[in-house]
Amino acid sequence: MKGLLTKIFLEVRWPSLLFAGGFAAITSILTAVLPKVLGNFPGVLERLPFVKPFITALLGIDPGSDFSTSLIQALLWVHPSIFAVLWAHEVMYCTRVPAGEIDRGTIDFLLGLSVSRWKVYAAETIGWLVSGLAILACGVSGHVFTAWQVEEGIQPTLTTTVVILCNLLSVYIAVGSIALLVSCLSDHRNRAIGMVFAILLFSFLLDFLAQFWSPAQHIAWLSILEYYRPAVVIQSGRFPTGDVITLLSIGVVAWSAGGLIFQRRSICTV
Amino acid sequence: MPHIHYPLTMAAIQTDQLTKSYGKRRGIQDICLTVNPGEILGFLGPNGSGKSTFIRVLMGFLRPTSGTAKILGRDCWRDSSTVRLEIGYVPGDVRLYPWLTLQRALQFVGKIRGTDLRQPGHDLADRFRVEPDLPVRKMSRGNRQKVALVLALVHRPQLVIMDEPASGLDPLMQDTLADCLREMSSDGRTVLFSSHTLSEVESLCNRVAIVRDGIIVASESLAVLRSRAPRTVTVTFDSPQAAAATRWPDFVSLVQTVDSVCRLQLNGAATQLIRWAVTQPVVDMEISAPSLEGVFRGYYGGNATIDGQNRNQITPSEPDPRASPRPEGAIAE
Repeated sequence: MKGLLTKIFLEVRWPSLLFAGGFAAITSILTAVLPKVLGNFPGVLERLPFVKPFITALLGIDPGSDFSTSLIQALLWVHPSIFAVLWAHEVMYCTRVPAGEIDRGTIDFLLGLSVSRWKVYAAETIGWLVSGLAILACGVSGHVFTAWQVEEGIQPTLTTTVVILCNLLSVYIAVGSIALLVSCLSDHRNRAIGMVFAILLFSFLLDFLAQFWSPAQHIAWLSILEYYRPAVVIQSGRFPTGDVITLLSIGVVAWSAGGLIFQRRSICTV
Repeated sequence: MPHIHYPLTMAAIQTDQLTKSYGKRRGIQDICLTVNPGEILGFLGPNGSGKSTFIRVLMGFLRPTSGTAKILGRDCWRDSSTVRLEIGYVPGDVRLYPWLTLQRALQFVGKIRGTDLRQPGHDLADRFRVEPDLPVRKMSRGNRQKVALVLALVHRPQLVIMDEPASGLDPLMQDTLADCLREMSSDGRTVLFSSHTLSEVESLCNRVAIVRDGIIVASESLAVLRSRAPRTVTVTFDSPQAAAATRWPDFVSLVQTVDSVCRLQLNGAATQLIRWAVTQPVVDMEISAPSLEGVFRGYYGGNATIDGQNRNQITPSEPDPRASPRPEGAIAE
């Protein structure tokens, strides 16, 4: 396992560092900018009336005419750029093995060593979770640091931040597990990336459309983002136990299925 | 370093009715092969004949459709990770991580195999003339092949499986590889390698297995194959009339007659020919060395088959009842 983790570290250290830096930069910028932009929300609505439905769709609730600090913090954690960075990292990471290795033919070398496929899968999972936690930690650090520095920033409370992060981590686990499953089913990394991207796009659009379009509401439960509602969490002040359990269940089922498929499938690089 | 404990008399490789098919396509079919410890087995066959499929089943990459494959007494699919502790493997098309250097590879492969491979790795690297700090992305194909060879041999495995190991190597490195394999064999370690190069097979192997259309059509020692190899014989008679009037025995076939000189192909033992020749008006006779190339070409081209009862009984020049024309590209080698 140590050898596999060393290999993973050598392969993903720089991309993960870039993602972590990018995530920290984005949370910092949003923490500094969002209160300024949304401070005069009625004025914004007057100039750009179409903004409200989009923000309502992102938050999952109607923010009304005035944005409270807590709603601004909620908006930070549902901002598309947050998902873009996290999901890009997951799609990049979780399609490396086995799809990426089969695609470039290096899996022959890897599996030619005395390692079981479960060990390879477990090592990849550890790397994925550790790098994800590191990226999330950098994002939170950027958010907290900027909030302290900027006078008119979002002042995060520890409880709210922890609850939202738990929910976001559950989303991260569900998405990454699905990406691992797709990777285990595929011989080509590009196809695996395309399929995961399609699932995520569908999930995002479905969640978005469900706010305005009733047919989409009936199948909104299919969207992963249906189980990630920071605004509702902040308003109710309760831990989203049901949502977290649902997301973790998706993650466990997809991860286990991926592992079983990888264990039992034939590997053909020719 | 962890090792599998197994009796010394146990076969290094044993397959029984091993079949792997890719849906409608056929990979390998009913392969029964035993490789004993210390043997160097050359695995030969034309492109697409199933050599790589066989090797990939042995390595546990492909799940057999039916039959069993065992290495050192353990099942190649179920116990593949344990089995690979004692295997060194060089794939047919060596692909390594672009960031990998031999130095780094020895570190992380050593961690995986649970032993420090740096010193033996550097010794082998000196032998194969590999730069330890050069990343794979800057290496030529031959150098990548050498890195793969070093990593396959460095832990002194009981069995080395190589898919066309000499491809991309210059003649000097081919000699070094041959020396390494001979040393392994003399230590009681086993080597199975696939190859297209007949000279390499002739100089290295104790035994060859020839595969065609996914079926083993021959599995014999080189000495037996040589005894079967046709020889060219040049017989000079005392006159052109004598040459023209000669009735040839059934173990030779006439290829060409020029005046009193006849060129023949000998399909039996030389002693038979000598006995026959002393009764003829022959003034000179020359028998060439046996040509394995002719034998291999016969098997490759489909002019030789196996007996229906015993796969190791080769009956050249008879039609193979099981051989069927394969659609182009139908077999993943």
